Amino acid sequence: MNEDGAIPRTWRDPALLLKALPTILLQVGGFMAPLVLTLLLTFQTTKSFQLQWTWDLATWANIFSRPHYWTTLGHTLVMAGLCVALCLAIAMPVSYALATRLQAWQNHVKVLITFAFLTDTTLKTFGWAMFLDSNGVANYLLGGIGIDTGGASILFTDWATMLGMVYNLLAFAIFTIYLSLESIDRSLILAAYDAGAGKFRTFWEVTLPLCRPGISAGAVLIFLLAVGVFLEPKVLGGGKSPMSAELIRQTFETRVNWPQGAALTLILMLVSVLIVLAFTRIYSTRAMRGAL
Amino acid sequence: MAENRLLELTDIRKSYGAYQALKGVSLSVGSGEFIALVGPSGCGKTTLLKHIAGFEDPDSGSVAIDGKSMLGVPPAQRPTRIVFQKLALFPHMTVAENIGFPLKIAKADPAEIARKVDQMIALMQLKPEYLRRLPRQLSGGEQQRVALARSMISEPKLLLLDEPLSALDVKLKKALQAELKRLHRTLGVTFVHVTHDLEEAMMLADRICVMRAGRILQVGEPNDIYYRPADPFVAGFIGETNLIPVEILEITATAARIRAPGLEPAELSIPASQLAPGLKAGPALMMIRPELVEMLRDQFGADISIAVEIQEIFSKGGTVQYRARGAQGIELVVELPGSPEKPAEIGDQLRLGWPARQVFLLPAQVPE
Repeated sequence: MNEDGAIPRTWRDPALLLKALPTILLQVGGFMAPLVLTLLLTFQTTKSFQLQWTWDLATWANIFSRPHYWTTLGHTLVMAGLCVALCLAIAMPVSYALATRLQAWQNHVKVLITFAFLTDTTLKTFGWAMFLDSNGVANYLLGGIGIDTGGASILFTDWATMLGMVYNLLAFAIFTIYLSLESIDRSLILAAYDAGAGKFRTFWEVTLPLCRPGISAGAVLIFLLAVGVFLEPKVLGGGKSPMSAELIRQTFETRVNWPQGAALTLILMLVSVLIVLAFTRIYSTRAMRGAL
Repeated sequence: MAENRLLELTDIRKSYGAYQALKGVSLSVGSGEFIALVGPSGCGKTTLLKHIAGFEDPDSGSVAIDGKSMLGVPPAQRPTRIVFQKLALFPHMTVAENIGFPLKIAKADPAEIARKVDQMIALMQLKPEYLRRLPRQLSGGEQQRVALARSMISEPKLLLLDEPLSALDVKLKKALQAELKRLHRTLGVTFVHVTHDLEEAMMLADRICVMRAGRILQVGEPNDIYYRPADPFVAGFIGETNLIPVEILEITATAARIRAPGLEPAELSIPASQLAPGLKAGPALMMIRPELVEMLRDQFGADISIAVEIQEIFSKGGTVQYRARGAQGIELVVELPGSPEKPAEIGDQLRLGWPARQVFLLPAQVPE
């Protein structure tokens, strides 16, 4: 304590530095160091699957000269964006119904969603693969209601990948939107009705703006997770149009090209972080617009 | 005021499952009137308000505003606006957007909305620079005014207030009570004010409607409710009172003969105008308000008197309350104006007395 009673907060205060040491060590050792190592890795080369310690720009030159990496990245971002849109479009009415209409069933539905959410993703994804197979339950059921698909199946297409992604990530959107819907004071809705607004107008003017935090949290979460999926494109998409995460896995494991994998990882991270930052920036300026 | 009844509630009944919230409520409110609905929590006063606003429809009975039946008419289409207990200001809209919201919904011209919002701001004595702020940046009292402005802007015929002042501190509450009274006078809008604060109801309302357990016990002017309550519940609910057990020996068209054990005289006659309606011979209660009781130094100063010992003294500043016990275990509360000298001490033996024309006789029990 100095003479005016305030706690000094300077870098030169050794006690403060000591207290912050565990966090700093954890951040630097657990987060910063691997990133720096990954970056260093991109400047190395491999020779007969052995890492050579050099200082070489070949990996980056290779990446920037091959459009394949960039179309994969673009494909990944489009898939992730579409996944976010679909998840929000499905989660919005589901959470709205949960929060307003289905109050008697609320807990049962929440338990069901949670169980589906907690079940291992690999299991669920293979489940969908069997369901969608040309000899699977989906075609059997479609045949049952008189739609003959002629053995055609959406398995091993982007649609199947998307189905798996939406299915596996939907719960994040439902939970975040449901929580923010549920925290809306019921009297605000009544006040809007009382002021003359109909159901749709009330939803548009009051409910939707007030659950925006939930929507954006869900969107960011799903986007970041969707950018990193590799199971769904492999199992349901049949690996025919790989997405970035799957490409990275292949580069590391199958092709054993660590520098290349590291570079792809960094690019994917950087692009996703930039997109999320841009999104939150636009979002927060829009939210602030009303304030002052 | 039979010729200009704005609101007419007829035999409204409403049940939620096995729970009967309203058990046949009828009430008519005149145009421009300020009526207060009071009662303990769970008495049905807020439920009744929701029936007027249109958030609930009755199981049976009718709601009519301006002679038109409102059954099945949604809140938006009723000429009513409600000010909620929690105010329900939209947190994502500025003060101006909040106040103008009903007009925006009604698709009014933006310039017209801005003009009306400015009018409302002036009427509510809010500072114009508040218009661009969010509700949470305002104090509790200012938020109140914004909520009131939002309900008034579309010029409703009937303003419904659901305990909007209950969350405020005493000083602010007093200021806003005065404000409500002023608004009511200037706008000429009919106010239905739900409150559990009786002092507030007495202060503000032209008429008070006392409810309990889904029924209206009494409707009347504040003074009537206070000095001529219909039953012991209303008497005890509105302010402090003395209820002395008596027995009615005989009721005639002009008076009731009663026996009052412990009082002097023990038998007396009370004029018919001082009897609660529906009173029958048998056990009853004599009511006298604490401020009507006097301390007597000799036996002959009052029509009715009793010898007591002072048990406790509470000074409230401007008034002093004495609690006393007399014969037959009769306990009395006396309220006298405060003064620098103390007229009595704890343990003093003295007589309390009051004029016979100021008592009111009530049934011993609340009629079911």
